[in-house]
Amino acid sequence: MKKVFVVSVLLLASLVMVTAAVAQKAVTLKIGINAEITGDIPKVGEATKFAAQMWLEDVNKAGGIEVGGKKYKVELAIEDNESKAESAAKAATKLITVDDVIAIVGPQASKQAVPAGEVCNNYKTPMITGWSTNPNTTKDRPYVFRACFLDDFQGPALSIFAKGEYKFTKAAVLYDVASDYPKGLAEFFKKDWEKKNGPGSVVAYESFTTKDTDFSSQLTKIINSGAEFLFTPQYYNEVPLIVQQAKQLGWKKPILGSDSWASDELVKLCGKDCNGFFFVSHYASAGAKGATKEFIDRYKSKFGYVPDDVAALTWDAIGLIGQAIKNAGTITGDVKKDREAVRKALANTKNFPGITGTISFPPGSGDPIKCANIVKINDKGEFEFYKTACP
Amino acid sequence: MTVFLQNLINALQWGSFYAVIAIGYSMVYSILMLFNFAHGDIFMTGSYIGFGVATGLMALSAAGVIALPNWLILVLTLLISMVLTSFLGMFIERVGYRPLRDAPRASAAITGLMIGIILETGNLILLGAQRIKFPALVEPVTYDLGGVFVTNQKVLIVVVSLSLAMALHQFIRRTRWGMAMRAMAFDYVVVPLMGVPINKIAAMTFALGSGLAAAAGILFGVAYPVLDPYMGIVFGWKAFVAAILGGRGSILGATLAGFILGFIEIFVAMVFPSTLRDFIAYSIILLILVFRPYGLFGEPYSVRLRL
Amino acid sequence: MSTPKDIQSTPRRFGRLWRFFQEVPLLGWLTGALAAVLAEQFVGLDLAHLVDLPKIPVLFGFENALKKPELIPGTVLYILMIYLAPTLLVGRLLQLPANRVAGFLARRWPVASVVFHLALLYAVLHIWSDINDYRVIVVKITLIAVMLTLSLNVINGYMGEFSCSHPGFMALGAYAGSVVTIVLFTNSSMYGPAVLPPAIGPYLFPVALFVGGCVAAVGALAVAIPSFRTRGDYLAIISLAFTFIVKSLIENLEIVGGPRGMRGQPDWSNLPVVFVCTVVCVAVINNFVRSTHGLALNAVRDNEMAAEAMTINTQRTKMIAFLFSAFWAGVAGVLFAHVLRYVNPGTFGLQQLAEVLAMMYFGGLNSIYGSIVGAVSINLMSEMLRPLEIWKWILIPLLLILVMIFRPTGLIAFRDFDPVRLIQPKGKERSKLEA
Repeated sequence: MKKVFVVSVLLLASLVMVTAAVAQKAVTLKIGINAEITGDIPKVGEATKFAAQMWLEDVNKAGGIEVGGKKYKVELAIEDNESKAESAAKAATKLITVDDVIAIVGPQASKQAVPAGEVCNNYKTPMITGWSTNPNTTKDRPYVFRACFLDDFQGPALSIFAKGEYKFTKAAVLYDVASDYPKGLAEFFKKDWEKKNGPGSVVAYESFTTKDTDFSSQLTKIINSGAEFLFTPQYYNEVPLIVQQAKQLGWKKPILGSDSWASDELVKLCGKDCNGFFFVSHYASAGAKGATKEFIDRYKSKFGYVPDDVAALTWDAIGLIGQAIKNAGTITGDVKKDREAVRKALANTKNFPGITGTISFPPGSGDPIKCANIVKINDKGEFEFYKTACP
Repeated sequence: MTVFLQNLINALQWGSFYAVIAIGYSMVYSILMLFNFAHGDIFMTGSYIGFGVATGLMALSAAGVIALPNWLILVLTLLISMVLTSFLGMFIERVGYRPLRDAPRASAAITGLMIGIILETGNLILLGAQRIKFPALVEPVTYDLGGVFVTNQKVLIVVVSLSLAMALHQFIRRTRWGMAMRAMAFDYVVVPLMGVPINKIAAMTFALGSGLAAAAGILFGVAYPVLDPYMGIVFGWKAFVAAILGGRGSILGATLAGFILGFIEIFVAMVFPSTLRDFIAYSIILLILVFRPYGLFGEPYSVRLRL
Repeated sequence: MSTPKDIQSTPRRFGRLWRFFQEVPLLGWLTGALAAVLAEQFVGLDLAHLVDLPKIPVLFGFENALKKPELIPGTVLYILMIYLAPTLLVGRLLQLPANRVAGFLARRWPVASVVFHLALLYAVLHIWSDINDYRVIVVKITLIAVMLTLSLNVINGYMGEFSCSHPGFMALGAYAGSVVTIVLFTNSSMYGPAVLPPAIGPYLFPVALFVGGCVAAVGALAVAIPSFRTRGDYLAIISLAFTFIVKSLIENLEIVGGPRGMRGQPDWSNLPVVFVCTVVCVAVINNFVRSTHGLALNAVRDNEMAAEAMTINTQRTKMIAFLFSAFWAGVAGVLFAHVLRYVNPGTFGLQQLAEVLAMMYFGGLNSIYGSIVGAVSINLMSEMLRPLEIWKWILIPLLLILVMIFRPTGLIAFRDFDPVRLIQPKGKERSKLEA
């Protein structure tokens, strides 16, 4: 009997607490983060989370986002998509229908971003991915955007650079056939290079599979093909292995890379072997100026390492959303209307000063127009700005 | 010809990894009739332990506490990590496999899989998502032999792997413990009745298998110095393929199967377009098994699934 | 308010509690559940506000409990009042009429009885998931997982082999089905305009499901023919090699998008379709394993030579079971592709394999119940524990290890699944039926 009494008192107490708390509710804006925190690429998820949290700190220090003369508090709803397509779709659905987010950042990898984009488009919720370069992500989806440039721009930018800088005519490519980003980039590069230098000028076009660590067979082929340089659009954790193995097999020619090289980890893992090589990047961390430098310094002091491209792109992606919310005019509190307003503002983004370049969205497309930087890894192992390439 | 020779050397190095991991897998598989799906992650953990030990020793050496040359650090790292990982293997056997000794084999496979996930996630929680560079214990020196490039690392890896395989083979063939293990592999039910301490043998099997995985992990760290928590998965499954391909109860078979797997992967990429590598490589393995269904050195046997 | 008091009872009193409910038939429970979800539909939000929850708890409130501990009392109250109380009360109150109806149906039209129960079950699921679309996608993915797990149980449980080829079968099904629907019924950039009018598409979706299943079954031949020459673990690596081969093949086939994957499947995997497919799958597989074939399969597993001596054609038996299992994995693949409306070879890798194996062995060998329980519990758990983020992947494996240690054959193994018995009335009505 005593127990029954205690329980009913507890229940009553909680009810009272409840009714007391109901009244004080203000509109807070929720932004969803759909990131690869566990699974194959935990680093990507971590960078996404860190960059977003840093942004949130800034916004809340300023008292929230100001829309139409009123300040709104911002919250993040972070979901892990476990690097699985179905989990990404679930996470997106959950963020939209349960957490009532106004917009979603991520997923970053295309395997997750394409199905999550489908969900977001169906529910008319703006989504912006930092990293996914698969055309399918944004194609025919007015609610889906991205912050990075596309393969069909980056590939030719590299081939122009290699041609102009070194007067090379014979190229070799080594890429991951099972991963859509390197594969797309490799294809665009090959197409452009062969257009400029005649068919057959890509003398070796070799591939491997995700998670491989030994590339000796492919590299032996490349070395014996007479190529003048190697282009490898791989991620920064694979590049050191490729570079070291190439050198051990007697390769002494230049190696070019893509934006996926851009991480402090590259130099840490590679040691001196990578010095002197060029890659395309969204931003260069050494000698960065202004907002970019500020971002890098803050991120480094907070989390202990120089941010990689994912962090930088997430920062821009969430910044784009913040700006779009600001430009949305008014916040009605009806999340459907607000999402619509944010989408409109996001699509009309012109010259957003991102740390990875100035971003504009052309009418009717979620793919930004932005310039690429060619970056050199200098002798100190820093990423040094070398040249700009614009579409 | 140089291309062929170069790839031969590449394949030797790559195959010796598969061989060392596959031997460890094959031990557990042959003696206890278990699919040890945690093996890949034990390999990963061994590699991380090696990283820890090596970094520690190098720091001691740099601080001037004890001056150690790099080769001695490597040897010590190998030994210490192998011992530590053996304890890990024994622990895993104790909590994950021993309670399931009389259960269906597949249940133990699932605990193995789950222990693997715990090792991966635990690593992720402990060390963060950052990838780790394995310290350069062996400064690479490249020798140019008429267009064929050989590094001292490659030589070291092949030599260490082969000697480990030989040592284990001798252990199994010559010692009383080895004899007990062979007996267990021969008959799982009767041999314990003859007074062979089954728990000790099982623990020892796991210890040896895990120690070998750690050795492979450190050699891997020397040759491919980028470590991440999920690197063991692929190796685990490939060791599984190699262990069965080699045939049950055969250390030599597992060694050879490891090399064959490595050779197939390298040479398929050499001859065919490398995009089709996995497709062709595994089709070849399928074909081998059609003609040698009990593996290369395996005797026909009938598995009594304990259901 | 009798319920909280009952919860307070000591374990000894649970016996009495159980007796109080023991004559409620399945029909009664289903009606109770229907009442619960209807209550949630109509007063759920008000009640949630009353107990200071911002919204209706999505998956039984785990999210709240783990993220904001201060919401726990409200959530518990909500669960008690919306789910537990109506189910128990309505179930118990309707015990008599439910038994009568169930008895009447069971005597007159057993088939109608089954259909009626299924319709009720669907209604419960539909109304429950109607609250929130997140529930819909969770239910859909869970049902697909049930199909996959069941079909794997045919090989790994009933046949007693260790097959690793399910991701491969699923991939074959997913791609084949997607090609059918995209080529025939949609205007896509990859394959041009639709061949047939898209309007008739949904009616022909079963064709796509069937094609997907058949392609997977044909693929299964590539595993079955070499591996059935002997008994042993060779099926394990042959099937593993098969999974690698399928993945690599799809990555190289530019016509289906290569590693970029394939997008634009029509949205036909809605809840009723997935539900019907799952029901058909459970029914067919259950009939299969309880038929002579299934018994022959068990015989082959327990002693192949003895089975052969008893004139069982072991090769044929194994082959049929294997193709049958692959067929259903393929169908599940088609549904999966049409739920996500995107397929990508990377999805069908080792991770998928580990998941299916875990669900199957967790649930239980040789048991339809087991596979359903395994798939549902692991799927729901992995959704409900989302707020734990990375710790989820420590907790779930630990739980699985414990289950394996204490119940080595899985939660519910070697249990016969008899739907007719399941829907029988209880108490007096049953004796009437048996008489």
